[in-house]
Amino acid sequence: MVHVYNCHPFASQQIVQVEQEPGLVCCGGGVLFVVAAGGCKVEAYSVEQEGCPFICRFATMGTVKSIQHSKIGDYLVTIEEKNSATYLRAYTNWRYQAEGKARVGVRLLGHLLRGASVQGGVQMEIIEIPLSERPVAMACCSVTGDLLVGCENTLVLFALKGQNQQNPNQSQQIPQSTWPKSQQSSSQSQGQTLSSNQNCLDFERSVILHLQKIKPKKVALCGGYVAVHAELEVLVLKLDSSCEQNTLDELSDTKKTDHLEDQADFLVLQRHQELLGDRAKDCDIPVSIEKTGLEDSTGQYTLSYVLFRRFTPDFFQGCNVEETQLHSLQLYPLFTSNQSVSLEEPTCVFCFFSLPTAGYLYSLMGGVELLSAYQYPEKVLEAVLTDHLLHVITKNALQCFTVRCSAVAARIKDPYIDTTIKACPPCSLEVCALRMQLFIGLRSVCVYGRHVILLSTADAETPEEPERTTHRRGLELKEHTLLTGIFLAVGIDPATTPALESLLSRPFLSRKWTISSPKETSSAGHGWNLYVVDTVSPLTLYQEMVEYSQRYAETNPQAQSLRHLLSEAHLLLRASLLQTPEQQGNIEGNPAVSLQTDTDGPAEKQTAVQTGIQELEEALRQNCAQLGDCFSRGSQKDCHLALPYYRMSGLSVTDIIARNHPLPSSPHSYGPGFLFYLKHYLLEETEQILSQETADEVIDIFSQSEPSQLVSVCASPPMINISPAQTLQVLQHLEATAGVSVPLTITMATMMLRLDDLPQYSQLMERHAEMLLVYGFIEEPRLLLHGGGGGQHTHIRPTALTRQLAKSQPGLLVAAMVALHENNKVQLEQAGHIFKELGCENCLQVDFWEAMLMASSQEAVIQELLFRLVSVYIDRLTNTTSDAHPNEPHAPSRRRSLKSADDLMNSCSHYGALYPWLTVLNPAQNTSSQHQEALYKLQSLLCGPSLSVGSVVPLMERLSEESLWGFSLHLLCTTRRGQYDRSIEKLLDRCPQAIIAYANHQLQDKHMVLWWQKLLPELCNRTRAAADNSILLSALKETLVVVAMETSPTEFLELMPDDGTAFYFLPHLLTCSQSHLLA
Amino acid sequence: MISKSALLKVILLGDGGVGKSSLMNRYVTNKFDSHLFHTIGVEFLNKELDVDGHHATLQIWDTAGQERFRSLRTPFYRGSDCCLLTFSVDDGQSFRNLANWKKEFTYYADVKDPDNFPFVVLGNKLDVPERQVSGEDARQWCRENGGHPYFETSAKDATNVASAFEEAVRRILALDDRADHLIHNNTVDLQRKSHPDPSCC
Ligand SMILES: Nc1nc2c(ncn2[C@@H]2O[C@H](COP(=O)(O)OP(=O)(O)OP(=O)(O)O)[C@@H](O)[C@H]2O)c(=O)[nH]1
Ligand SMILES: [Mg+2]
Repeated sequence: MVHVYNCHPFASQQIVQVEQEPGLVCCGGGVLFVVAAGGCKVEAYSVEQEGCPFICRFATMGTVKSIQHSKIGDYLVTIEEKNSATYLRAYTNWRYQAEGKARVGVRLLGHLLRGASVQGGVQMEIIEIPLSERPVAMACCSVTGDLLVGCENTLVLFALKGQNQQNPNQSQQIPQSTWPKSQQSSSQSQGQTLSSNQNCLDFERSVILHLQKIKPKKVALCGGYVAVHAELEVLVLKLDSSCEQNTLDELSDTKKTDHLEDQADFLVLQRHQELLGDRAKDCDIPVSIEKTGLEDSTGQYTLSYVLFRRFTPDFFQGCNVEETQLHSLQLYPLFTSNQSVSLEEPTCVFCFFSLPTAGYLYSLMGGVELLSAYQYPEKVLEAVLTDHLLHVITKNALQCFTVRCSAVAARIKDPYIDTTIKACPPCSLEVCALRMQLFIGLRSVCVYGRHVILLSTADAETPEEPERTTHRRGLELKEHTLLTGIFLAVGIDPATTPALESLLSRPFLSRKWTISSPKETSSAGHGWNLYVVDTVSPLTLYQEMVEYSQRYAETNPQAQSLRHLLSEAHLLLRASLLQTPEQQGNIEGNPAVSLQTDTDGPAEKQTAVQTGIQELEEALRQNCAQLGDCFSRGSQKDCHLALPYYRMSGLSVTDIIARNHPLPSSPHSYGPGFLFYLKHYLLEETEQILSQETADEVIDIFSQSEPSQLVSVCASPPMINISPAQTLQVLQHLEATAGVSVPLTITMATMMLRLDDLPQYSQLMERHAEMLLVYGFIEEPRLLLHGGGGGQHTHIRPTALTRQLAKSQPGLLVAAMVALHENNKVQLEQAGHIFKELGCENCLQVDFWEAMLMASSQEAVIQELLFRLVSVYIDRLTNTTSDAHPNEPHAPSRRRSLKSADDLMNSCSHYGALYPWLTVLNPAQNTSSQHQEALYKLQSLLCGPSLSVGSVVPLMERLSEESLWGFSLHLLCTTRRGQYDRSIEKLLDRCPQAIIAYANHQLQDKHMVLWWQKLLPELCNRTRAAADNSILLSALKETLVVVAMETSPTEFLELMPDDGTAFYFLPHLLTCSQSHLLA
Repeated sequence: MISKSALLKVILLGDGGVGKSSLMNRYVTNKFDSHLFHTIGVEFLNKELDVDGHHATLQIWDTAGQERFRSLRTPFYRGSDCCLLTFSVDDGQSFRNLANWKKEFTYYADVKDPDNFPFVVLGNKLDVPERQVSGEDARQWCRENGGHPYFETSAKDATNVASAFEEAVRRILALDDRADHLIHNNTVDLQRKSHPDPSCC
């Protein structure tokens, strides 16, 4: 079904003061070009100014059969006939033909010579473009200004050249064509003459496409897309210039074989066919490329098929060939404002073509697809696509249909559309017709921006022009009957189609329809008229649609039509907002703004555009709110769209809740879309704190509609103001009906906490084992953590429950945080932030890190934690004294760590057992327990397998070696780094009594040689210096025992110091010899 | 009324400097410039006129007479309805070149029936006292080369300029059936557009 909405797309009409009957009409660049019927004269009128004033008139060289204007280059191109020959010509600098009396230069394509200058100014110039075949149709590219010409069997592409070649310095120079004869030197060559030009356009033939099996009727060109239609076929190709060798010839060869097989199917009757994208090459139309451009300016071209469609006249339906003839082929680019300034590439390109009974709109970029099919109620003569609307004319009416171009462009421009963030009505949304405007004897239509230009040539007997403005009532009736007649004529009985009937029942001349009457009488005499009908601004049309939608909203808010109408309104606004700021200014014919440009400066224009954009944006927000309402109340299908639309509306949660109060009469309470919105937006992503009233209402909504969500609702940060007592009741009720769950219990405990009822709180928390509580927190992390999630830039922070746990159940809190981290619910830094907020950086956080070391298996995290812990332990060692006084001033009343050094050594693999020689170094019980714990933990990490000692060396520098414990740590480091020689020396210097324990532990296996290579000589030397040192002597003795065991007698003898007493070493030599004999 | 209007293309040929541009200027704008520039390429002007009750749009094509511009002008001979062969009475060479001009035109304009194509011969600069070409020589040439009408003009003094152009129009309209054919052609085309060939069913 085609929706028909009684909206008024047209605002006003003017009649262009044309003297002779217009034959052809075209427009572009704000100018309307009228070719007098059968004549050789073109008149230009400004459509942008009130009354469409005459600009200029110029003669053509032959009878114009077809005319087009190119915005780029501001040139006109015509197909003309003279004495039975057909010509293709381009008219440049036509604006300099004010009187029609100035000489017009004529030249061939490529013979750029005089520039456009003659004495005293720019000269209009006609470029004759010779073709080997008769031109049938032509089109200009609105992106590049290039020209495409369709001949009987070929398409010829001409590249626009020389545009903007104006050199400001040159304008001072006398162009050579104006040199007086007396000064002209004989040596002046034509080459020199050619070089000087300003304002000069030319074309270069760049590619010829040979089409064997299609006779072009109309062509279109847009940024590399080439479209052509014959009577019943449409073919769209893409031409890309590239360096690759063109493979098309091959391609069409291989195709021929396929082709023959296909032929079998199509032999009798070619059926309707639609081939999209690559598949279009299976159509029956081979295309070959002939490159004609100069080497330097054009590269290779590759050609790909984009779209093919074939229609067949349906004789059984009573259609004849004429009724199946194609028309109104258009390639339409859409530019959007987020593009680079150059605007070289359109965001999307669309292809439109039409049969008398139906129009088809395809989107070509990013995958070819049929966007919309337009079913016309009546035979359409011509159709024109614009950003906002599709305008069609029938014999007696101008009608517009909505288009989906902005839905496509919006999606290309904004990747967030179709997510939970943003939405836009689908490209496939059914199109609708807006109210038509009646005319008599319409012949052709063209559009510039918001101006629709219509040519009507009524039959002589057509009556009733003057009555128009006088009797409105009578007029309505007349129009009603006329229109009814039209519908009946095409086989539609309005009485059976409610939409049509409602359409017919409304007045056709609205308050918005104004007619410039003074000029009307003058034009009423003849049987033809040229009208400029202005469409209303998109915003105005939007507002009317909204007004119109209110009626649906009141009677049946669930109606599909309401949603459809609001979606239509949405796309209208989008189309306006997508446009570039310049487009929103005046170039595209926005009368409201362009009128101001004459009087106001650029600054005023800028602000006018700015406020225009703001108005549109505000309207879009309103529309999103209304669409949000639609989806929030609607059925389950698409209800998720309430979320992005509400989000785009910018409304607060409170506003949205207010909009969704159930109607007293309505049986069902809250729509699924609304609940979806609340759950996702409010409960997961927003940081808007709700008032107590609203928060309680939310609890109410969920307890009615989705009680299972209550825990997550209560845990949500915006709900922080809920009244605890009331909520507790709801939760208790939930527990009674749905049973006990850990998160529910914790939530109830949270409410108790809010009520300051600590006993009840504790009682609730004790209902479950700590491990189960931890699982509860994993299920609902927001019981402990608020913020920090989603895309919000808010900081993570602890909840009241977290604070309570830090006080009363620190172990549980640490366990929960570790569990959350391991389940990716919180990051290390975020956890750090929480502990900082809790004021537990030095205690619970360290406990957390220690516990994390036990739990984590991620190497990167482990290294990070080891480093942090080393640094914490060093802090503790430097900040506490090693005195045994219980009350240390530096760390007042510091809580004991959750895990002692022993606990960690026993349960965590990263903490190693202390090396035995450390016990010799560690002073026994004469330090504070804090200090000792820190020392043991640090030593344990240094003894453990995971800490990379190299990385903590810089930290260790903070510790002095003065104290024995400090020395022990440095010694551990040097040992762990393999510097045994130095360690041995240092140990012998500081604490020789530990040397044998050290050597026994460290000097094993491959380091065994150090016993005799380092330790023995050291001890020998030292005992020699202090012979009475019993510690050294006993160490020497122990060493000799080991050396004797490990070396051969010869080696042992070699090791004997020269000055040693044989008596002293002899027993060891003996042991050595004996052990070797045994071996 | 509209349907009877015809676009008549009249082309001015002749050596550089004989006064082609001056003749066109005199006829269309009634002005004369004694220091005119050489024409480069091709230019045209339209002039509406009524001749013997016929309304016509005269499209006067002015070409560059200098030899070096030949390639720029010759493509535009096609479609001419009348050719004005121009020389200057004070320049014998320009008169002797008339035959070459006529040949160049017939060749490039691809005239179907050269014997019946309307040429008009103009001897310009009548006002200059030092004549090199006598009226008799000129008339004789016209008689011997197809009986072309001959006008002695002065763009400077406006002598005979309008009559020369009007004669051109008359000559064109004199080929009666041809003019009819022109208009007829247009009508057929328009109709063909709206009534497609029924044979394609
Ligand atoms: N005395 C006189 N001088 C004339 C007459 N017609 C033209 N001239 C002058 O002759 C010179 C050449 O005239 P143009 O009209 O430029 O000659 P043209 O045939 O257009 O020359 P090209 O453009 O080079 O082919 C100009 O200086 C004119 O002023 C005339 O009837 N009498
Ligand atoms: Mg000249």
